[in-house]
Amino acid sequence: MATDNATGGGFGEVSRLRGIAFEYLSLGASVAGLVALGVLLVYVAIDAFDLANASPEWLLTYFLTLVVPFLGFCLYSAGDPAITRRALGALGGGLVAVAALFTAIEAFVVDIPRLSWQLAYLFVVVAPVTGYLTYVGSRGRVGAVGFGLLGRLVGGVAVGLAVGTLFLVFDELVWFLAYTLGVLPAAGLYAYGRWRDADRAASAALPVGLVGVVAAVFLRGVIATYPSDLIIYLWTLAVPIAAVGALVVAGRGSRTAAAAAGGVPLAVATATGFLAGGLGVPGPTALIVLAVTGVPTAVYVHRVIDGGEGVVGLGLPLLIAAGVIAGALVVEAWGVPAPDPWLDVSYVTEAPSRTPEEAGLYPAIVGSVIIIALVAVLSFVLGVGTSIFLEEYTAGSGLVGSLTRLLQVNIANLAAIPSVVYGLLGLGLFANLLGLGFGTAVTASLTLSLLILPITIISAQEAIRSVPDDLRRGSDAMGATRWQTTKNVVLPEAFPGILTGTILALGRAIGETAPLIMIGAATTVFSAPSSLFNRFSAMPMQIYAWAGFPQAEFRYGVVAAGVITLLIILIGMNGTAILLRNRAERGN
Amino acid sequence: MTDSTESPDLQRRSGLRRLKEGTYGGLFAACAAATLLTTVAIFVTLLSDAVVFFQEIPIAEFLTGTNWSPNPAGGGQAFGIIPLLIGTLVVTITAAVIALPVGTLTAIYLSEYATPNARSILKPLLEILAGIPTVVYGYFALVYITPALKATLFPEMSTFNALSASIMVGIMTIPMVSSISEDAMSAVPDELRQAGYGLGATKFEVSTGIVVPASVSGIASSYILAVSRAIGETMIVVVAMGAQARMPAVREAAFGIPYINPADILLESGMTITVAMVQIAGGDLTGGTIPYDSMFALGLTLFVVTLVMNVLSDIIAERYREEY
Repeated sequence: MATDNATGGGFGEVSRLRGIAFEYLSLGASVAGLVALGVLLVYVAIDAFDLANASPEWLLTYFLTLVVPFLGFCLYSAGDPAITRRALGALGGGLVAVAALFTAIEAFVVDIPRLSWQLAYLFVVVAPVTGYLTYVGSRGRVGAVGFGLLGRLVGGVAVGLAVGTLFLVFDELVWFLAYTLGVLPAAGLYAYGRWRDADRAASAALPVGLVGVVAAVFLRGVIATYPSDLIIYLWTLAVPIAAVGALVVAGRGSRTAAAAAGGVPLAVATATGFLAGGLGVPGPTALIVLAVTGVPTAVYVHRVIDGGEGVVGLGLPLLIAAGVIAGALVVEAWGVPAPDPWLDVSYVTEAPSRTPEEAGLYPAIVGSVIIIALVAVLSFVLGVGTSIFLEEYTAGSGLVGSLTRLLQVNIANLAAIPSVVYGLLGLGLFANLLGLGFGTAVTASLTLSLLILPITIISAQEAIRSVPDDLRRGSDAMGATRWQTTKNVVLPEAFPGILTGTILALGRAIGETAPLIMIGAATTVFSAPSSLFNRFSAMPMQIYAWAGFPQAEFRYGVVAAGVITLLIILIGMNGTAILLRNRAERGN
Repeated sequence: MTDSTESPDLQRRSGLRRLKEGTYGGLFAACAAATLLTTVAIFVTLLSDAVVFFQEIPIAEFLTGTNWSPNPAGGGQAFGIIPLLIGTLVVTITAAVIALPVGTLTAIYLSEYATPNARSILKPLLEILAGIPTVVYGYFALVYITPALKATLFPEMSTFNALSASIMVGIMTIPMVSSISEDAMSAVPDELRQAGYGLGATKFEVSTGIVVPASVSGIASSYILAVSRAIGETMIVVVAMGAQARMPAVREAAFGIPYINPADILLESGMTITVAMVQIAGGDLTGGTIPYDSMFALGLTLFVVTLVMNVLSDIIAERYREEY
């Protein structure tokens, strides 16, 4: 030991060098993987957006019109001169440092491919500073309002598009009948039961709904004539939203406001339906996007204006939109050479193609959305059911106790089985034995549900376990049965945690490729699927297929765009999960 | 709670109520049983087709054969798993060389050196490494790592090679090592550290001489889990390593001592067990052929190996854990 060389009467000298070297070595190891991943992500972003061909003028234009106003907004929201000084110092000092370092490396050491010092500055300095300022800004009142509004707009559009996609495979006529015969009466009964405290009516809601849905499926083959699509969607989507809006506002007293809350959405929805039909956008998708974007946004704006705090923040979406438009105008007016990104609107709306310029991801995106929607339902139900059983319904000892331990060990082992083996299960059991078809959405989602089931269960168990026991005992003491305790106390408390875990698990499912290959999912399909039993492709399958193409345009352009699309969706899902968790933790 | 209006049923005699309770309990039990059924289904599915395969190809031939060509152009199939085992082993070992030291150092940093603030930022960031889809890692290896290595270190490297795939598998498994090891290190009680400091040890000596030995069972079990994850990794190797089942060339050193040059394996294309399965799945899936059944034999091998490693890791974590 280092103290051995103690001399005479005083304390020994201990060399600090080894300790410091070790500390920095371990710090280096901690960030090594992250740095490697960061560099790779920078390159894939450069390839996807063709930034290697972006002229410095183009970068400067958008830096000035988009990034600078955004940073200004964040700094304004933070309202802290120290942070402002630090941010400006980092941006300015970083500019000098990166430019000097980059030029020196290029001149003396090695030529860095496809990277200019402007891009390096953008990724090494501007991106982290923006991230940090976004975080700091979102903690201020103005920033919280701005990002809240932005999140509702972006999230609403994303959810709306995803839900609209589902209508591509589900028969909207069945939906129409099921809604009219099942959902509407059930909702009515339930509402009546809650309103009048009539227990029987409320508990009859579920059976009535189920009977209605079954009747709808049966009647679909019998009835021959239906109203037009637009009327169906107005009736099943716009009318209930308008009605709920009117009811909620009426509950607060004002009759005219209630009429407005009901009438305005209905009128807007009708107009949108007609307009979208004229513009070639599928009517239901436009309606759904409008509903899930417009309603929360309107409510949020109303609440913020009522509260009167941070109203300036509502301008953030306008600021960003104005920045994009101003940048585009400048680029257009002065003829600044602009890059030609692979990832653009046509990429996500077109089918795959042999020519790289025309290749698109649309059918694969649709496939992924549909598979994930099914997986979400299946794994949520199975996962929550299992975790409730394991946490609430089993005893710690005796036969049941050892059964529980067996289940627990089994779940841990299931989590460690390679995904390709789950693919074999899907192939042997679902595709071949049960005849659900090779590479169909049903086979794929069953397989992926089983794959992520262990993760869902483990996270749901943790969420349920974190509910304090006092709450359970309190409920028991009031004479509640186990199911009543579970339903009324445990599940509401644990729900945010369960949801977070499920979304994170779904993030795993959306990137899985090996099981899809094993069950024979198509590498490339040229049109979006129209039924659950069609042969599907999914985003990772399409990336896998394209990565094998020999042309450089595919390898470096089209696949990079696909990777970025997949990663953006993943970041969106995981970000939502983390936001949910943070909000739940703050709530407690 | 709507039931509060009714009179309490203290003896739980109400038939409907008990039926309801029982139904929900049964439903949850059924969900739990589904997880058990999944394991059984995996085992039965793998075994039933693997048995058919082993009726055609004897197990000894499967385990000792040095040639893997399930669908040769000219006929004459061969199902020897040895080249696949070599490919899997190479990827696993190379990945472990990256992931185990880096992961352990990361765990030491997070548990001993990092400030709470740094830890709260680093830990979720590290989880990102495990959350990136593996097909994306494979693409990175093929399109960025291989050209970079070719331009700098290994000019003779082939487009599809084991090295860049293994590097990516290693990076992917870092968080697996670091998070489980860190849990084990954080569980070491502070008294042990304080005792170390009391004896005059430096922070470095406490970290490496006290915390690491005290948490060695957790570290070992994290190693095993990471290695088992690397064995089952599919998409990275499928995309970046190519699909050539080869035995490495045996060279002769001075005095005729045979040796294998690692570069012959690492810088060339190869095939792992998982790649072999994916390659067959790209061909025919309807069943009834020997290649189809061979997939299940390979899957069974993989299943057994990962299961054994997982159980082993559990046993090590339990049996050799220091109790405080």
